Amino acid sequence: MKLKSDILVIGGGMAGLVAGIIAAESGATTLLLRKGQSATAYSSGAIDIIGYLPEATEPFSAPSEGLAAIAGLYPLHPYGVVGYGDNVAPEEVVDTIIERVRDSVVWLKDRLEGTIASVVGDFQSNFSPISILGTTKPTCLVQTTMNPGDIHEREDSVLLFAGITGYPDFNPSSASKTYLEDRIAMGQPPHKVGFCMTKIMPFGKSFNISSIEIARHLDHKGSIETLAEQIDVQVKRIGATHVAIPPVLGIRHALKSKLELEKAIGAEVFELLGFPPSIPGLRLQLALEEVYTKAGGKLLAGHEAISSSRKGKTINSILARSPRREISIDTKAIILATGKYIGGGIAGNENGIRETVFDIMTVTGEYHSAKDIVPSRVTHRLEISPMGQQIQTCGLSIDPQFRPIREDGLEWAENVFAAGAVLAGYNYSVEKSGLGVALTSGYGAAMNAVDRIKGVA
Amino acid sequence: MNEDEAYEYVKSTLKKEMITPYHSDELTIVSSVSRCINCGLCINHCPVVAAIGVDRFSGPRSIAVELSRSPPEYWSTADKIYLCTGCGTCKEVCPKNVDIPEIVNLIRARIFEHRPDLVPKGFMLVNEIITEHGLAFEPWADKEEKEESRDMRLEHLGLPFIPDIVKEKADVLFYPGCQAEERAQEVREAAKVILDLFGVDFTLLNEFSCCSLPSRLMGNEIKARELAKRLKNKIKKLGVSKVVTTCAGCTSNLADLAERDDWGIPTYHLLEFLAEEIGYARLTQALKGKRLSESVHISVHDPCHLIRHTSRRIMDYAMDILALIPGVKVTASEAHDSCCGGGGMVSYHSKDVADAVVKENLIALEETGAERLVTPCPLCTAQIESNLFKSGSSIEVDDLTVFLAQKLIKE
Ligand SMILES: Cc1cc2nc3c(=O)[nH]c(=O)nc-3n(C[C@H](O)[C@H](O)[C@H](O)COP(=O)(O)OP(=O)(O)OC[C@H]3O[C@@H](n4cnc5c(N)ncnc54)[C@H](O)[C@@H]3O)c2cc1C
Ligand code: SF4
Ligand code: SF4
Repeated sequence: MKLKSDILVIGGGMAGLVAGIIAAESGATTLLLRKGQSATAYSSGAIDIIGYLPEATEPFSAPSEGLAAIAGLYPLHPYGVVGYGDNVAPEEVVDTIIERVRDSVVWLKDRLEGTIASVVGDFQSNFSPISILGTTKPTCLVQTTMNPGDIHEREDSVLLFAGITGYPDFNPSSASKTYLEDRIAMGQPPHKVGFCMTKIMPFGKSFNISSIEIARHLDHKGSIETLAEQIDVQVKRIGATHVAIPPVLGIRHALKSKLELEKAIGAEVFELLGFPPSIPGLRLQLALEEVYTKAGGKLLAGHEAISSSRKGKTINSILARSPRREISIDTKAIILATGKYIGGGIAGNENGIRETVFDIMTVTGEYHSAKDIVPSRVTHRLEISPMGQQIQTCGLSIDPQFRPIREDGLEWAENVFAAGAVLAGYNYSVEKSGLGVALTSGYGAAMNAVDRIKGVA
Repeated sequence: MNEDEAYEYVKSTLKKEMITPYHSDELTIVSSVSRCINCGLCINHCPVVAAIGVDRFSGPRSIAVELSRSPPEYWSTADKIYLCTGCGTCKEVCPKNVDIPEIVNLIRARIFEHRPDLVPKGFMLVNEIITEHGLAFEPWADKEEKEESRDMRLEHLGLPFIPDIVKEKADVLFYPGCQAEERAQEVREAAKVILDLFGVDFTLLNEFSCCSLPSRLMGNEIKARELAKRLKNKIKKLGVSKVVTTCAGCTSNLADLAERDDWGIPTYHLLEFLAEEIGYARLTQALKGKRLSESVHISVHDPCHLIRHTSRRIMDYAMDILALIPGVKVTASEAHDSCCGGGGMVSYHSKDVADAVVKENLIALEETGAERLVTPCPLCTAQIESNLFKSGSSIEVDDLTVFLAQKLIKE
């Protein structure tokens, strides 16, 4: 089998799909290969831009503040790289970073508008959605269904945590305790919190039920009414102004369900941040795929890029494998968005850490070679510092155009760009920056790839 | 005790413990389980979980992390392991591509060997038919009746009859698969019409025999290997240079066998053969001038064995080819690539599960407003057709090969 496309994206998570959308919208023929789903679908679906600096305990109140700090302290951080370019003066770097990240956030919000994963929040400030454990975390954008509204501002707000009998992921009693304790410590509303159990029975029984079953069930017509009746009683009981439920309001119709519920019970309803694999993560994945295909991009699921062929300074074709066929794909530019250890873009074993498609040089967070780092030798307790676990920061080092570089500092190939978790130099779990880095780098890498093929043509 | 004796001794104790050592060609499957990171992404996509819930079918993650972990206790998975349709959805979304459908076959093979009492009765009936006739369906008792049925179908569809050809050294072996050989004869005939129209030098088997997939799915590994060997011998004797089939299950299974058993020749679904060997130019030419009076609004179902077990590209070919036919409007169904419920032989013992799985497809299909559903597999055709009929739907179902043949010969 043979195929051809102007731009070939390898990887179908946040970074790959964002890059694919940009490429397809530019008019380039775009093909995206995906061997599986990954960290993006797995995530809780809240889009973090930057929450913390490594070693810091206080979160940033706004992404711009965090980005400025990053630019100063970690110039090689993927966000740092965004600020470099031929026409950027050194004193403009910080502003350029902030502007480019803001551009990509605004762009993403716009593209997700009207999809099953429409988002709220903006670049001006971080806010703190509540998790199913009753804790909060700083993030930039959450899905509209997860918007806690004015709960932390209203002096008279009362929150009801509504659990589901037989759904083991969420314990509303302990979540409400954790949450209330936090609020009391901060001296901030809500001052009253309650909890209740509801019955949602996708298959007529209230035990051993999973998120996906509940979400599918609530997508069906009529099932929200039954839930509304149960919650209504409890809302009246404690005088709740807000109701928190686990992130299971639906896959296709979650927003509609939220609005229907609110209308029926007269209180604001929002989903909590949940454990992976979460339904909001699934919604984000599906929504991005839809935007990509609507933009004219071609998605080829179940295909893994396994090798490539080089012509001079460029890679001109990729071999992809499906379960029982092979396809050779000719292309003008490649975006490598293969993720890290979950996605499979970076793998580590007894021979060290390597990049899996092209075998490009890997580096650590300090930009030393990661070639000889053996993950099983760095699982020692001492390896986990406030900076995070070091293998989380390993990956590819890139030039200002997002092209992976070799040992001599030059690009590995003129037409290969990289984005997302495959990059080195940041630790998403410590910084709370995962989907944000994927978004910004996917956006930037694709812009450069588009410029290149337009220039070449 | 020398090494060989020790090996034999250990083997005999394994038998007592109800363990069958893995074949060397199964080792990649077994090792794929160890890649599972227990993430649970697969559960969100499994059509059986969607249809009946995790309480009744614990789902692909449970197969990877629980059901497959202890060979001596494989028997205890019997209430779950037979409910997997083998659709491959989990494997495709899995970040580590854990080969769940094959693990399921592997477990079923061991239950079949050590605890045949736990194998669903429906499987045993098919097993007897296969053992007796080398076919997955009871063959027609009366050859003339079979021909009559064939002719009636051809007449109804307006297709000409192309006599069977069996010869050595033809370019292509056309392999219809059991369903088209015995039941959906129109598919077999339609493929011959198409091959003939494009002047393909093809042959049939002189005596048709099963590709072995049903035996694998029910766990009769010995029978499966025997049937595979029988087929290989026939193909080698004919000396063909390619095999073409119209069945999705045969497509993936033949590809597997060709690789595992070193056939040394490529295997294709007819759609791939048309796209890659005949070419869209000749197809367009052949479709030109056929005054296709009526336009038709269709939707398409993607068989699991083509998209997830072989390559999604094959359905791209299907869409390309349909786009060449004048007057055909295609509306995609939201569940176009969701399992029809016919996989894994689930319908042979748990019909309610198979029917619950296909229900989602039926709802999505009605929403398209299409008058016809087309799919390149006679088994998917039969499964969806009977469910649509039962639900009182007016949507008709065609195998894509038949649909295409009709368009190609229409004056
Ligand atoms: C449990 C968990 C929770 C998280 N929660 C959050 C959160 O709440 N907010 C947040 O902002 N971030 C979160 N993150 C981080 C964030 O999800 C990731 O940083 C981000 O999704 C990375 O996106 P990506 O596109 O780079 O990679 P991935 O999403 O991992 O995608 C990689 C893709 O590449 C494909 N691929 C790999 N190799 C090949 C190949 N050879 N051929 C074809 N395809 C290939 C994979 O199949 C996959 O589709 C979380 C991460 C985890 C693990
Ligand atoms: S093969 Fe299909 S039915 Fe079986 S576990 Fe996987 S997704 Fe479910
Ligand atoms: S089989 Fe794959 S998708 Fe399922 S839990 Fe394991 S790693 Fe995750």
